[in-house]
Amino acid sequence: MATATLSTTRSGGLKRLVERYPFLPALLIALVLLALNGLYQPRSVSFIGITGLVKTYLALMMLAIAQTYVVYAGDIDLSAGAIVSLVNVVIVVLMEKMGGSGFSVVAALGIGLLAGLACGVVNGLVVAALRLQAIVATFATSIFFTGLALYVMPVAGTPAPAAFWRTYGGRFFDIPFVFYAVIILAVVLYVLARTRLSTQLLAVGDDAQAAFQSGLPVTRIRIQGYALCGLFAALAAFCITGDTASGDPLVGGKMTLFSVAAVVLGGSALSGGYGTVVGSIIGALIIGLINSLVFFVGTPSEWQNLVQGLAILVALMAGVLVGRRARA
Amino acid sequence: MSKIELRGVGKAYGATLALRRGDLSIDAGEVHVLIGSNGSGKSTLCKILAGSVRPDGGEILIDGRPVTIGGPRAARGHGIGIFYQELSLARHRSVAENICLPDLPATRAGFVDRDALEKRAARYIALFAAVAGEDFSAETTVDNLRADQRQLVEIMKALATEAPVLIFDEPTSALDRAQVDRFFEILRGLKAEGRSIIFISHRMDEIFAIGDRVTVIRDGETVGTEKITETNPAAVIRLMVGAQDELAPGHAAPPAAAAADRSPVLSVRALAGKGFANVGFEVARGEILGFGGLHGQGQSSVLRAVFGVNPVGSGEIVLDGKPFAASNPREAIRRGLAYVSGDRGRDGVISGRPILENVTPIHFLRQKLRLARPAALAERVRPALEALHTKFGGLAHPINSLSGGNQQKIVIARWLIDRPDVLLLDDPTKGIDLSAKTDLFTLIRKLAAEGMGIVLYSSEDAELLNNADRILVFNGGQVRRELTGADRTRYNLYQAAYEAA
Repeated sequence: MATATLSTTRSGGLKRLVERYPFLPALLIALVLLALNGLYQPRSVSFIGITGLVKTYLALMMLAIAQTYVVYAGDIDLSAGAIVSLVNVVIVVLMEKMGGSGFSVVAALGIGLLAGLACGVVNGLVVAALRLQAIVATFATSIFFTGLALYVMPVAGTPAPAAFWRTYGGRFFDIPFVFYAVIILAVVLYVLARTRLSTQLLAVGDDAQAAFQSGLPVTRIRIQGYALCGLFAALAAFCITGDTASGDPLVGGKMTLFSVAAVVLGGSALSGGYGTVVGSIIGALIIGLINSLVFFVGTPSEWQNLVQGLAILVALMAGVLVGRRARA
Repeated sequence: MSKIELRGVGKAYGATLALRRGDLSIDAGEVHVLIGSNGSGKSTLCKILAGSVRPDGGEILIDGRPVTIGGPRAARGHGIGIFYQELSLARHRSVAENICLPDLPATRAGFVDRDALEKRAARYIALFAAVAGEDFSAETTVDNLRADQRQLVEIMKALATEAPVLIFDEPTSALDRAQVDRFFEILRGLKAEGRSIIFISHRMDEIFAIGDRVTVIRDGETVGTEKITETNPAAVIRLMVGAQDELAPGHAAPPAAAAADRSPVLSVRALAGKGFANVGFEVARGEILGFGGLHGQGQSSVLRAVFGVNPVGSGEIVLDGKPFAASNPREAIRRGLAYVSGDRGRDGVISGRPILENVTPIHFLRQKLRLARPAALAERVRPALEALHTKFGGLAHPINSLSGGNQQKIVIARWLIDRPDVLLLDDPTKGIDLSAKTDLFTLIRKLAAEGMGIVLYSSEDAELLNNADRILVFNGGQVRRELTGADRTRYNLYQAAYEAA
């Protein structure tokens, strides 16, 4: 009897904890994966190893964040990756045209942000104002955005100016640039979480009809969610441009569904109303850690995709099981 | 001058007329009660006023000026706040966030002003502090709350609009006595401040405890407004019934069967489960037993529990003299029970599949068939479909090609190939046309005459009064009254349904 009451109070506390921080199961999985990485390749958990990981997967983290704001409201954006591609080629072409100076880089980034924002607003209008199904409508706009990207840069390979990728890969005061980026990102996310928009998006995701009846401007809120998604997709494009140092009109396409997977791995509900951006970031990290682990254990290259896929499935199941156990 | 006036407001959904002609006039500083039977248009009227339903016609005047209410936000702008019967809460958000959701307080920089939000929410939570329960706090997320606590949150949310006109659409259905008393105290305070309150409830005692005037709506039309002090429950019920009472046990009513000389085929004793308690009844072979009362008073829950869809908490079911406790519908079907629901999409049709497949699943289950031979099946299916005058192009056509009424006939026909002993009908005529209804009830009476025991729950009172031998009136999950013989009148039905426990 005594043990029974003990276990219920303990699971009650755990339940509250997981409810408050839905990303805890994901964090647990990420830590386990990190430990496994360290086991097979001790250097991967060194400062340089972690820097490399963040540098490579910062883009996916950004895209996962982008996707999260849309998923908050129960929507989805299948064009997120295409927006990354479009912004990638737009900024590379602009930087090249303007000569690759520091000013041109800043100007190109500004225009890149605007391009991402515009794509997001287009998605929002199509889905929320025209009331088309989010999955199909954003699939269509993804083809459209990819088409634009191919028009801007028909063939991959234009290099980004050195000023740009040297900054992204460089160090200031012995600390890699990407860590500054992560800190700024954390501040931005903290600020965003406190805006009315975050709460309103979640309320719409919980029950759009109820939100409408409560007097929330549901259409406007959903459009704003897509706009935010577009902005973060542009940031993801900056990261990927810094990482690959070149323009590629198809670079982001395969990232779309990874971003959706990251959101789910992070404990958010695809049906909306429930989730955290921190979870999505951890979800993106999990995918990165799985990819590097598959490499470090020495999987033959022809089997790598298969093992990656299986590992993501296992991580998903583990997340669901841990979350269910904790909330039961 | 009235604070708010509605003149001839109407709303139709396709062919269904939800509100024919709504007239209503509310003064400042009064509690105005709306009453009417299931589907009479009360909620539609409220939603039109709250902007979440756009009227097809009519006029709305606020302070004597005609206005158009374009949406819920516009309604708020006009000073109208509402409690929705189906609640409008975001279940993953906290109580405090839900209370302030329509108008989240923001700092100058556009962030949510947590302090202001908590302070504002605390003001309304404090109103119910004594009755909300110990586990109720501003930080709790709504999906961790009990039904009554959720209803309190929706009340707080409506109060937090601080609107001069407040609409409460059945705000007390899940509340306990103490919570209702506290709520009424608050309403009286609001009234003293000169606010106008529209209040919908199905509990006659509440209406007379809190109301100043009462407006009765019948079949989508306002039929009259009375001062509470100048009327009484019986008079209100008479207004709700209208001239229809004479029709009630009309031409087609079957003779009250002398059930005593027939053996009960299904008897239920002290059954309890989610949504109902202490329900007992007997159905004899050849008898039609009616379940009546307001919507959602446990009638469906009882039928679904007997059929094994929902778990039974306690109690005893005897089928054909043998104890029976179905843990799932398959078992219930094997033992000779049948269940037809008005919610065809959820419980009835196999969407997108041919008619033949839709008629035969029960046949397959009961005969333990392994292989389907369409020609042989068609032989068995046709008589069942013909018994119901079902109109269809061919057995291979998809069921979605049929009208709602014909789809429901297909669903019923599937039970006719291998006859069950007891047929449970859960509001079977929802959304089907008149001629299909007639065919259906002709068949039901024929089946009863051939010895089947039938339990009929219907939200349309006329169907019950015209077809049932006995009517059990449900209220709050329990059987309040049994109407037999000449007692089966609309007046008695309403009285039992609306009278509080």
